Amino acid sequence: MITRQLSFSGLIFLFIYTLQESLVNQIRLPGGGFSIFIIFALVWSALSAPEVGAVAGFGAGFLVDLSPSSSGPVGQWTLIMILTCFGIAFLGFGDDKSRGNPITIVFLVVAGVFLSEIAFLISGALLGVNLGSLSQIAIILIGMSMWTLLITPFTLPIFSRFHAFTFETGSRI
Amino acid sequence: MRYGGGNRSRLLLIILIVSSLFLITLDLRGVQVLDGLRSGSQTVLSPFQKVGNTVASPFKNFFSDVTHLGRTRNQLEQLRAENFNLRTKLINRKNADAQLKQYKSILDLAGTADYKILSAKVISQGSSQSFSQTLTIDAGSNSGIRRNMTVICDSGLAGVVKEVYPNSSLILLASDPSFRIGVRIAGSQQIGILSGQGSNRALLQLIDNQTTLQAGDVLLARGSLQNRPFVPGVPVGSVVSVDNSAGAVTQSASVKFYTNFSALGVVAVVVGAPKTDPRDALVPAKPRPTPIPTITVLVTPSPSPTATK
Repeated sequence: MITRQLSFSGLIFLFIYTLQESLVNQIRLPGGGFSIFIIFALVWSALSAPEVGAVAGFGAGFLVDLSPSSSGPVGQWTLIMILTCFGIAFLGFGDDKSRGNPITIVFLVVAGVFLSEIAFLISGALLGVNLGSLSQIAIILIGMSMWTLLITPFTLPIFSRFHAFTFETGSRI
Repeated sequence: MRYGGGNRSRLLLIILIVSSLFLITLDLRGVQVLDGLRSGSQTVLSPFQKVGNTVASPFKNFFSDVTHLGRTRNQLEQLRAENFNLRTKLINRKNADAQLKQYKSILDLAGTADYKILSAKVISQGSSQSFSQTLTIDAGSNSGIRRNMTVICDSGLAGVVKEVYPNSSLILLASDPSFRIGVRIAGSQQIGILSGQGSNRALLQLIDNQTTLQAGDVLLARGSLQNRPFVPGVPVGSVVSVDNSAGAVTQSASVKFYTNFSALGVVAVVVGAPKTDPRDALVPAKPRPTPIPTITVLVTPSPSPTATK
């Protein structure tokens, strides 16, 4: 059972990652655009138990670190995504009202994206990564959050189906 | 919020966090395995990026076109009148023409300065999630590209080769916050350091505080030792405003890049530097004001004025 879940999850994560790197990154959107892969990882965690969220965060963060366009050392996004995904899974777990509510999940994901970017900025500053002017950072932070708010409601049903298929829960949003 | 956690869960979280810290430590210590992983992932992704570039080409610049609506209004009016198939064909053709125009301008620029260049197509724009400004091109070490080579586009400096893979390369754009380049002012030959700011503006800091800068001054790359990472003479941008605050240690100015980083379709990597410094040969020509026609009316007085009653 766990082998099936791991292999399906891995394949789906790789598919979305390839989609992000080959297609979504091609389109220059105002305000920095969005990361479909991070949105997917956060939705996946919001629908999962905290342990699964942490492992999903580790895998997702490691893949983001492997992206050639990623600045900062390998492991930085891994650490951020472990904490963010675990936090989101922890907040939603055990409370069926919040886990089954798409609006809660959308806001959790938007907050997750915003906080992970803030964490990236802070850890990047500590590790000596150049991050640019304050105005540009503010534009990207606000832009990415707005794009995430716009994109997540459309992708949530698809991602929840992937999740239900992998974990055979039968519950969808 | 009813999750109370457990020893197993806590242990797993600690193991994962320690693993990520271990990865950071390995990377900061320069362990080659992690570089190899990034290189491998780019090699695997490169064919997908090429396909993605083809798929996304009709609409990838949609938003930048919208922001420049005034310029493309006439073209849009034309396109509206045509059916979908013709429209798609036209956009593809337009894309190819724009790339051809960019290629021609790059060749003109490189020819004037005697740079030996290798043209390449942009196959992926870097993600903004890491606050970095990069792009990927479809030529790599198999084509003779090496790290720290200058990358130019039709209007001047585009960036520098940051990483090289067999069939693709990662370019650090001049707008990236970590980008630094030594520049000189065309004409006065004053030197300074230009830093990217994450947008189409950059910050110039002059070495000598006694010099005077003014808006419109053209900045050219000063060139590096053995021409890497920067070959001399490449146009970088022009000064838009000067910070004349009293008591400043160095004089600084805001500079606008010549390059439109959001519309880069093709670029060229300078694989061979010129034998002699091109000096100011690549300074872009100033826009010529449109002549206003003057109408002169010549009136010849009649020899016998008519008498008035």
